[in-house]
Amino acid sequence: MLQAHSLLWHYLWLAPHVLQVALAILLWQRGLHKLFPVFVAYTIFEAIEEFTLYGMDVLPWVTVDTFWRTFWVGLIIEGLVRFVLIGELCLHLLRPWPAVANLGNRLISFTGSVLVLLATLAAAYAPIDNPQYSLISRAHILQQTLYIVQCGLVLFLFLFAAYFRLAWNNRTFGIALGLGIVSCEHLATWAVMANGGLIDKRYLLDFLNMATYHVCVLVWFYYLLVPQKTRTKSVVPLPEHNLEIWNRELERLLQQ
Amino acid sequence: MTLAIVIVIAAFLSLVLILRIAVSRSLQISASANLLTQIQPIDVEAFRNLVNATEDDYLRRRLSASHFREVRRARLRATSAYVRVAGRNAAVLVHLGESALSTGDPRIADAARILVNDALTLRRNATFVLIRIHIALAWPNAGLAAAPVIDGYGRLSSSAMLLGRLQNPATPIRLAVL
Repeated sequence: MLQAHSLLWHYLWLAPHVLQVALAILLWQRGLHKLFPVFVAYTIFEAIEEFTLYGMDVLPWVTVDTFWRTFWVGLIIEGLVRFVLIGELCLHLLRPWPAVANLGNRLISFTGSVLVLLATLAAAYAPIDNPQYSLISRAHILQQTLYIVQCGLVLFLFLFAAYFRLAWNNRTFGIALGLGIVSCEHLATWAVMANGGLIDKRYLLDFLNMATYHVCVLVWFYYLLVPQKTRTKSVVPLPEHNLEIWNRELERLLQQ
Repeated sequence: MTLAIVIVIAAFLSLVLILRIAVSRSLQISASANLLTQIQPIDVEAFRNLVNATEDDYLRRRLSASHFREVRRARLRATSAYVRVAGRNAAVLVHLGESALSTGDPRIADAARILVNDALTLRRNATFVLIRIHIALAWPNAGLAAAPVIDGYGRLSSSAMLLGRLQNPATPIRLAVL
């Protein structure tokens, strides 16, 4: 069951991306592509990329070298699209609140710079475990590098929002949650691969990656398409009245 | 492989943090009715007195250098406690304001928007002031600018009161002990 090219393997590689195509269509039909254009673009790109890679993997006449070169190109574009997607999430989170928007933008830029530095250091220390197929090792290292930055940025968004108690829009939250789960799990697996771990059992890491991605696509489905319960907005019972004194005293303090 | 282990642990901790924030978000949504009980009133007068530069100058003149540093550190710790409470109150008010944003009444929504922005400004300022307080605890002779917190708190109180008035004219929000 847990073997490359098993039924489960085919399912886990294809199903999330079939679902992504359906998700993109449904988002388009509901006009949500105007609200999340980068997410829709990411969803479509991811599906196309994975279908291409799947086809190249099962077709016998595609060489290993060609597969990994295509993987590289896809990886670079996907990395860029994901960073733009994080920018879109940041925009959705901060745009309504000018009081912290500037601070948030500066902090995320600073965090990004630090993460790029850390990721570069981690890449420099990662071994090329198979010089004959350095293309594969380098692809793993690039994955690790991209996911260090991506995971750090998504975590930053969550921490920033939690610290300031910023309310996420349900859809934005769902996208960020899915991206966060994928980023953390993929970071761990690609770090193991990039540093030469579990050489004989890498297919297990592939299964873990594919299964996690499947779960995250379902998370996106749930948050983006299932109507959310509207929160009941009862008027909060407020404590006893001392407004007049309060107002007078504060104005006096402010004018001092 | 050591690097991989470090990264795996970091990734795992990040995942736990993200999931914890996600869970606490859903719990916050359901517990928003108890928000007002979380607000701790602040004695603004005592707070203002603690951050009064004239008071500091007076103490500096009257006390020996070592005694002044001791007293100043005690005052800074007390200030820090006030600022923390102000920051926490601001966070509660952000939540309170956000929950009032989607009401049908545009006046309430506007008041809520102002409240959230003021509360966020105060939370931001409180964070910066706390950092400065910690620096000042190491160098007690350095100055401390807590004015943004006091002013922010004043503005926040006005916004909270406006929202309180609009939501329920009989029972507004109380943020300070007078």
